[in-house]
Amino acid sequence: MDFKELMEKFGGKLDAQAKWDDCVVVSREYLHNVVAFLKDDPSCKMDMLVDIAGVDYLTYPNHEGPRFAISYAFKSLKHPGLRLRLKVLVSESDLKVPTISDLYANANWYEREVFDQFGIVFTGHPDLRRLLNHVEFVGHPLRKDYPAQKRQWLSTNDYLLPELEKRLEALGYWIVKRSKEVETKDNEFLEGSVKE
Amino acid sequence: MIVRDSNGETLDLMPLNVGPSHPATHGCLRFMAAMDGETIVASVEEIGYLHRGFEKMVERGTWQQVVPYTDRLNYCSAIMNNIAFCRAVESMFGVELPERCKVLRVIVNELSRINDHFVCVAAAFQDLGGTTPFMYAFNPREEIMCIWEKLTGARLTNSYARIGGLSRDAYDGFEQDVLAALDSTEKALKDLHACLDRNRIFLDRTVGIGKISAEKAISYGWTGPCLRACGVAADLRKDEPYYDYETYDWEVVVGTQGDCNDRLQVRLAEIEESVKIVRQALKRLTPGPVDIVDPRIRVPAHKLAYQDMEGLIGRFKSVYEGVRVPEGEFYSGSECANGELGFTIVSDGSGHPYRIKVRPPCLTQFAAFHELVEGGQLADSMAVLSGLNIIAGELDR
Amino acid sequence: MTDEAQKPSIITSSLDFLVNWGRTNSLWPFPYGTACCAIEFMSTEVGRYDLSRIGSEYVRFTPRQSDVLLVAGTITYKQAPILKRIYEQMAEPRWVIAMGACACSGGFYDCYCTVPGIDHIIPVDVYIGGCPSRPEAFFDAMFDLQKKIKDESYMKQRAGRVRDQLEMIKAKTAEAKAAAKDFAQEKVELAKEFVSEKEQELVKKAQFWKE
Repeated sequence: MDFKELMEKFGGKLDAQAKWDDCVVVSREYLHNVVAFLKDDPSCKMDMLVDIAGVDYLTYPNHEGPRFAISYAFKSLKHPGLRLRLKVLVSESDLKVPTISDLYANANWYEREVFDQFGIVFTGHPDLRRLLNHVEFVGHPLRKDYPAQKRQWLSTNDYLLPELEKRLEALGYWIVKRSKEVETKDNEFLEGSVKE
Repeated sequence: MIVRDSNGETLDLMPLNVGPSHPATHGCLRFMAAMDGETIVASVEEIGYLHRGFEKMVERGTWQQVVPYTDRLNYCSAIMNNIAFCRAVESMFGVELPERCKVLRVIVNELSRINDHFVCVAAAFQDLGGTTPFMYAFNPREEIMCIWEKLTGARLTNSYARIGGLSRDAYDGFEQDVLAALDSTEKALKDLHACLDRNRIFLDRTVGIGKISAEKAISYGWTGPCLRACGVAADLRKDEPYYDYETYDWEVVVGTQGDCNDRLQVRLAEIEESVKIVRQALKRLTPGPVDIVDPRIRVPAHKLAYQDMEGLIGRFKSVYEGVRVPEGEFYSGSECANGELGFTIVSDGSGHPYRIKVRPPCLTQFAAFHELVEGGQLADSMAVLSGLNIIAGELDR
Repeated sequence: MTDEAQKPSIITSSLDFLVNWGRTNSLWPFPYGTACCAIEFMSTEVGRYDLSRIGSEYVRFTPRQSDVLLVAGTITYKQAPILKRIYEQMAEPRWVIAMGACACSGGFYDCYCTVPGIDHIIPVDVYIGGCPSRPEAFFDAMFDLQKKIKDESYMKQRAGRVRDQLEMIKAKTAEAKAAAKDFAQEKVELAKEFVSEKEQELVKKAQFWKE
């Protein structure tokens, strides 16, 4: 199929960078509607979100426009072989994109990863935390201005109890009494092993 | 912690941390469960313990230097990742591979798939307390490892594929070795089925455990054997065929229940299909070149570099500057042992990748882990985990 | 007592031999496997290579029951505190093998998230190269470790520990004595002050009444 309707309805335009597959650039205001449309429209039926990838165009030669882009890859199981990418441009001054984790379950972790690596905030995300890097990490490592060898030590373990409580509340439980908090800040933990 | 459920009953739950150094979590997964006795009420997962910065590291090298990094994504079937990456870059170049290269790639692909599925099934048995199948499954695996050693020089991380070809042609006696390995694979399959099919303990621990519906699995973005175990016949080798997979005679294996037992049985059945494909591919293996002849894409052979100037310049430029992939963006997915391994590639037309994002098949499967274990016993979660076959290298990259 | 224990005699050297023999031939590994090297360790365990030939097939997944911490795979900063805690939970005697390039030096992941060698966190006895190390290399490392254990003297270590303890007790006693002395001195001074204050008060009172 061609994505003419998509472009007419939501003002998307074909991405000039995509020479080997279909990619439509949409504005972020329409993103949620576009994705909902793609998921339900019988002619495309994009029922699987394959990937969300962030891109930082800081050092891209001759690049004009916003610094970041997010590329959503979809595929359809109803029509095997039908794929589409959506691209949303995000400027550095306003790092906000609406979440689509209410439409696709796996968008939750993908968006957390993009937030972790690029610092792009997904508004409406239920639990926007770091996914791959540890809790004490400062900065966003896949941005082009983050030095590759800037190491950051972790002094303690990640702490999952608050998330567990959130999950219990989501399942319909009401927490009467918290479990005894374990001391997480153990200062002597890595003493002597921290090296610059 | 004390909680009250929707019926107003009060429960005393115990938060229990599992991993990351738990034997069944393979060193890199962690989940925290709220336990009511032996039953898991709620669970949250945490990953990133093997985040090695694949995506940052590949931006610093040339396009060819990405290949060894892809080895270490899913290290149980390293060659498949090489081939998936090289396929993505080759489709950006828009080149057609020689026939022998395609057939060889199919053979090593399917042998890797056999290898990977054997590790998964063996580890699943080991985690459930059975040691014997572990030994059965590793015998043919060691034979395939010997073939890798002869073919590529390494046992596990092979780096066999190159952009526009293979690192070397098959050696003399390759066909005989593969046939012998296939025979021992079939023998091991027979042994495994004898251990597994009517084993009361195994069936009690896996049938009906970790069930998921097809709709939910699709919403979570599952691919590969885990999705097919839910009854969805989705296989990229059939849906978007590459390397002439559609011309071989084989079936897509589909499960019925979507439970833990189905996931393992689908893997065992897929080994059978892979054996079929390799047997057919061996018959198609005709002599010919394995590399495309284009010094801008594939490095000219050593022999040429010593003989004429053009070869020397081609080799020098290709090694120092890297191949120049056309400018643009592309997503390409290939069917790997765990599911769809995708690469979102952004190229700025230079010899270095601008950005490569890996789409790991494991991530989506582990994201659904809490749906599978909640309501089950703690011991079941180990069976679920080993049935999903989470490989930390590609989960965290 | 300590001097006697340090001298090699028939009893102590035979005891050393016996202890080392036992330790050498039943090294129970704790495979802290995170990445590719763990798969090679699995190959080492099974049929073709068979780790049980040197008495190490009994893999324990709890730090309290194992002797050798086998770090197989990349250690990231997120994992570093866990590795350290596991090392601290292991009982003496304990040894550490760093298997593979990543555990030795970080390998080719020279990156923001990988520890450049586990010797930044815990002491290492044997390093194995390779990415991943072959099973033969792993056996070689185990033999190296066995040699190292054979050279160790249990009695010497024990004597050293006893001497350390004695010194510690001596130091503690001296400390306690000094503390007691200080305390007594303080008390005496306090008493003196108290007396002098009282005297002055009395003097003041006497003057007041005089006036």
